[in-house]
Formats: sequence, structure tokens, C-alpha cells
Amino acid sequence: MRIVRTASCICTLALLLTACAGIVARADAAPSASAGELKDTAGKAPTTATLAAGDPGGSLTGTISDVPVGDAKVGLTLGDVANQVGQNKIGINFTWTLITGFLVMFMQAGFAMVESGLCRVKNANHTYMMNFLVYACGLFAYWIIGFAIQMGGAAGNGNLGGLQPLASEHALSLFGTNWGIFGQSGMFLAGHTYDVGVMVIFLFQMVFMDTALTIVTGAAAERWKFLTFAVSSVLMGAFTYPLFANWAWGGGWLAQMGTNLGLGKGYCDFAGSGVVHAVGGVTALAVALIIGPRIGKFNRDGSSNAIIGHDISAVLIGCFILAFGWFGFNPGSTLGASGAGCLRIGSVAVNTMLAGCTGTFGALFYMWILKGKPDASMSANGLLAGLVAITAPSGFVNPTGSAIIGFVAGILVCLSVSFIENTLKVDDPVGAISVHGACGLWGVLSVGLFADGTSNYGGSWNGVTGSVTGLFYGDSSQLVAQLVGIATLVGFVFSFSFVLNWVLDIFLGQRVSAETEVAGLDLPEMGQLGYPEFVFKPEPDVLLAAERVAVA
Amino acid sequence: MAATKAQGRAFTLFMGGLTAAAAGIAFFSSGSGKAALVLGVAVVAYSFFRFLKIKPLEGKAALGEQPAIQKLVGVLLALGGWAVVLYGLHLTASVSGRMTTSVIGLAVTLIGVLFVLPSAANKNAIWKA
Repeated sequence: MRIVRTASCICTLALLLTACAGIVARADAAPSASAGELKDTAGKAPTTATLAAGDPGGSLTGTISDVPVGDAKVGLTLGDVANQVGQNKIGINFTWTLITGFLVMFMQAGFAMVESGLCRVKNANHTYMMNFLVYACGLFAYWIIGFAIQMGGAAGNGNLGGLQPLASEHALSLFGTNWGIFGQSGMFLAGHTYDVGVMVIFLFQMVFMDTALTIVTGAAAERWKFLTFAVSSVLMGAFTYPLFANWAWGGGWLAQMGTNLGLGKGYCDFAGSGVVHAVGGVTALAVALIIGPRIGKFNRDGSSNAIIGHDISAVLIGCFILAFGWFGFNPGSTLGASGAGCLRIGSVAVNTMLAGCTGTFGALFYMWILKGKPDASMSANGLLAGLVAITAPSGFVNPTGSAIIGFVAGILVCLSVSFIENTLKVDDPVGAISVHGACGLWGVLSVGLFADGTSNYGGSWNGVTGSVTGLFYGDSSQLVAQLVGIATLVGFVFSFSFVLNWVLDIFLGQRVSAETEVAGLDLPEMGQLGYPEFVFKPEPDVLLAAERVAVA
Repeated sequence: MAATKAQGRAFTLFMGGLTAAAAGIAFFSSGSGKAALVLGVAVVAYSFFRFLKIKPLEGKAALGEQPAIQKLVGVLLALGGWAVVLYGLHLTASVSGRMTTSVIGLAVTLIGVLFVLPSAANKNAIWKA
């Protein structure tokens, strides 16, 4: 009996040992088999001679032979393949982000055409030149300090390789929690921020910043002293824009409202209805208030005169350039096309198109029904209004939501233009305050209403797990976060811009002389007419009378 | 008068000073960084002095005097409303409470921006003359 029991124990032990050995063997076999497969695949790769014969079908180009080998003695390993997969992901995201950034850069041309087209011919060169120089002013200011303030503490974006050199955010401790105020890394892109990922995010964020700056030139067109415009733009690119952008996108306190206060996912602004357009819009309002209306815009009884732009074709073509650039603005804001929910780029692009379309209809219907004509410039502003409004929610809403947001924006821009001109008596030659300010704020608000909770950018947003969800889909706290963002834009950003430009008015003077304004800014300010061979049509009598009074 | 060589020189000074000041901040830990910051701020200040000096050459703009006190009140209202919104976030933890304080604060801000400041800007507007 004892012999049997002992034999049983030995057999059981032997079986266990055999089983364990089998498991270990299988575990060992896995990499061996894969390594074998790699070797096998490498052996089947087309030879140099085969490739030399040409590959018209494209089936031979791009094989295992193109994967770099870490150690030539060992040959291709799983590690080499995995590294290449990581490089490919980041490479795809870099390419996507850079190309969309290039599209956004081209929007400067669209802005230049829209703004100049809506101004009189005697100011064409000046308006074009403002839109041209704002690019250099903004870029330089952003490089020396603005980028560091905005993105200096924005490390952690996995789509672009982590951006670890940008890991210094100055925080303020209030009520027991830390709130990000401004970033501190990246001035001059020097030192450890001389990094491939940092360069990509710099380019992308820079062109966004420049879009905000160029909005202001429209509202102050036909009377803004060129020198003051240049100084004001440099300061906006260095301080005003980067500060709010840090709070929203650089890990600052608005973005932290989700983690610190439980307000939804914090302030959410996918591509910048608030950060870019509302910042530009409220600054435009601040400058327009200080600089005053153009000569002849308002009559003694407060009624306004229409001062017609010189080139509606430039306006409409400029709008299409802007709409094209917007495909960089919104889909590009995923900062990648591979991983972390980036495949939603198609949805973001369609939302962008739809809102632009319904925005056009909103403005067109409003003007046609109430004014009797399908006004071209307001239809153009309707398109832009829809695009501005969908910029913040484009990554969080569905196509139906985006269509509604765009349509509301199209009507809102008409109402806002009328309110600003007829009630506030503020002169905005191109409607920039309405298009970018009012509709930008509407876009920020609409995130808190229409975000449908289906987006999933890596499982969280602003450090809060889950999808951005608005009031209509069950999360009212997101709406509060958006309201705080709006209050910050109107309360802080506007005030900051107003005081800054007020100081500039004291030292430099914001407005050209009455003589210069009457003559047109092209010759006195730029030294050259925009269209030297044009024969100027005399101004309408009402404007001529106002000009005589102003000069006197 | 419009654009002049003096304006170009002052703007160049401003850009140079700002760049030096930024470099000073970027490399503040070093002695040359501190020197660059001081130099940069001084050059920016001097450029503003130059701006002020050449300002009268521009000629009279078609712009009435805007009352400074009223403008200041408008800005303070705008900032005050924003402060109400921020304070409200810590006043209560309920979503409806925070929404209420946010709306109240926003309303105060809008009064400053849409009523007080435009009124100040248009108080002595030339089109009224």
C-alpha cells in the first residue's frame, strides 16, 4: 500500500513538473516563434534586384526591410518592430498636426481678403498690410515669451510624444487647491525645449494665436494708426492671448475646474471658439471702443450710415479660404490622427462643414426675410459665424448638434451686428466683434449644451475620466464650467485688453489724424496706394459733409 | 503726419527692448540674464518715452474726449462681475448655486462692458457735435 502511495506521489509530482515545464516551454517558445517569423518574413522580402525592376503596383515597396535594425549582429527583433510602430504613430501625428497648422496659417490670406474687401479702396493697402504684419508681430512675440506663458506647463500629450520638456507651470494655491496661472518653459524655444515634439506644438499653437490677433485689425480698420497696431499686436501675442490660452489649453485653472471643483471636464474648448475667436473678438471690442467710429459712420441723431466695402468678390473668396483653413483649425486640434480617439477627425471635419453651411443659411434667411435681399457680406459673415461657433464644440457634438449651433450663430451674427452698430454705437467695419466675439462666446456655451458624451480622446479630458457631456445629454455641471469661461473672457480678457490699449492710447495714440483718415490711410501711413490706377469714386454727400466737419 | 522715420526708430527700440527683456527673463538665473532684463526694460521704457514725444506730430484725430472715471468704472464692473463668478465657485458646491452666481457675475460684467463703457466712449463723440 505504501509503495502504491509513494508511486502515486512520484507520478503526481512528475506530472506537475511536466506541466510546468510545458508552460515554461510554451512561454519560451512564443518569442522564438515570433523571431522565427520575423526572420522568415525578412527572407521573403523583395531583393534589391527585384526592387530595381520597378514597383508599379506598390506591393513591393515598404516591407520588413524598411524597419531599422537596432543591432546588426542580432538582426531584426520584436523590439525594433515595436519601436517602429511607436515612431509611426508619432510620425503620423506630427505630419497631421503640421499640415493642419499649415492650413491654419493660410487663413491669414483669407482674413486679409475679407477685411480689405469690406473696407474702402483708399484704405486697401493699409488693411492688407495690417493683416500681413500681424503674422510677423505675433510670431515673434510668441517665440520670445508667449509660447512659454501658454504651453510652458503643458506636458503630457501622448499624441506628440509626451512633450515632457514643457513641464513647468506656475501655480497659485487657493482654498487648498493648486491653480495653474502661467507656463514657464519654452522662451525662445531654447535649452531643453529644443525638442521635436515641442517644435510641432509651437507651430500649431502659433498659427492659432495669430488668428486671434488678426481679428482685431478688422474692427479697427480704416482708422488705426499703423504704429499702434504693431505695438498692440506684439503685446497681445506676448501676453493677452497666451494667458487665457494657458488657462484653457496649457493646464491652467480653467482646465482644472473638473479635477479641482468637479465641474464637468473643466472648461472645454476643442479648437478655440473661446481661446482664439472670443479672445480676438473681445479685444476687438476693447480697441473699437477706444478708437471710436469712422468719420461719417454715425449721424448727429445717432443713426448710422452704411460705408460700403470696395470688393465683395475678395470678401467671398476670402471666406472660402477661411472655410478651407478651418479644416486645419478644428480637425487638427486632435493633435494627431493615430491613437487616443483621434479617428474622430472625420466627425470633427463634417461638423465643421455643417455648421458653416447652416450658419450661411441662418444669416441669409434673416437678411432675405427681414431686409428683402440675400445680402452677400452678411451671408459671408454667416458662414464665418457658423465656423466660429462650431470651433469649440466640434470635437464633442454630433452632426445634428453642429447644424443647430451653426444656424443659431448665423442668426446671432445678424442680431449682434445690428446691436453693436445701432445700440452701442460702436463702429466695426467688418463685423469682427459679432462674428468672432458674440459667436465665439456662443460656441463656448454650446459645448455645455450639446456635447453628446460620445467622444473619447484617450478616455479622459482635462484629467477627468469620461467624455465631455452637456446639459442636453445629462451633465449640467459642464455648462457651469463653460459659463465661468465666458465670464473670464468678457470680464478678464476684455478688461486686460481695454486697459492695455488705453495705455497705448495715452502714449502712442490709437487713431490717425482726421486729415489722414479723410485722405485714406494708404498714402499717409503706407506711402503707396493699394490700387494706384483706380479712379476714386467720390464719397457720398453724407460722408463728405462729415469729413469736412471732422477736419475742421 | 502719419507714419514717420521717428515712429520706425521708436518701434525698433521697442522690439529690441522687449526681446532683451524676454531674454533676461529666460536666463534670469545667470548674471547676464539679469543685466539683459534691466537693459530691456529700460529700452522699452525709453521707446515709450519716444512714442509720447512724437505723438503730438500726428495731428488731431476725429475723436472726442472719453471720460476716464467712467471708463474706469466700466472696467471695474467688468472685473467685479468676474470676481463674483470666481467667488461663487467657492461659495457653494451645488451646481445650481454655482450656475446662479455665474449668471449674476456675468450680468454685472456685461453691464460694465455693454452699457458703461460704450456710454463713456460716446459721451463726447464727434458725431454728436
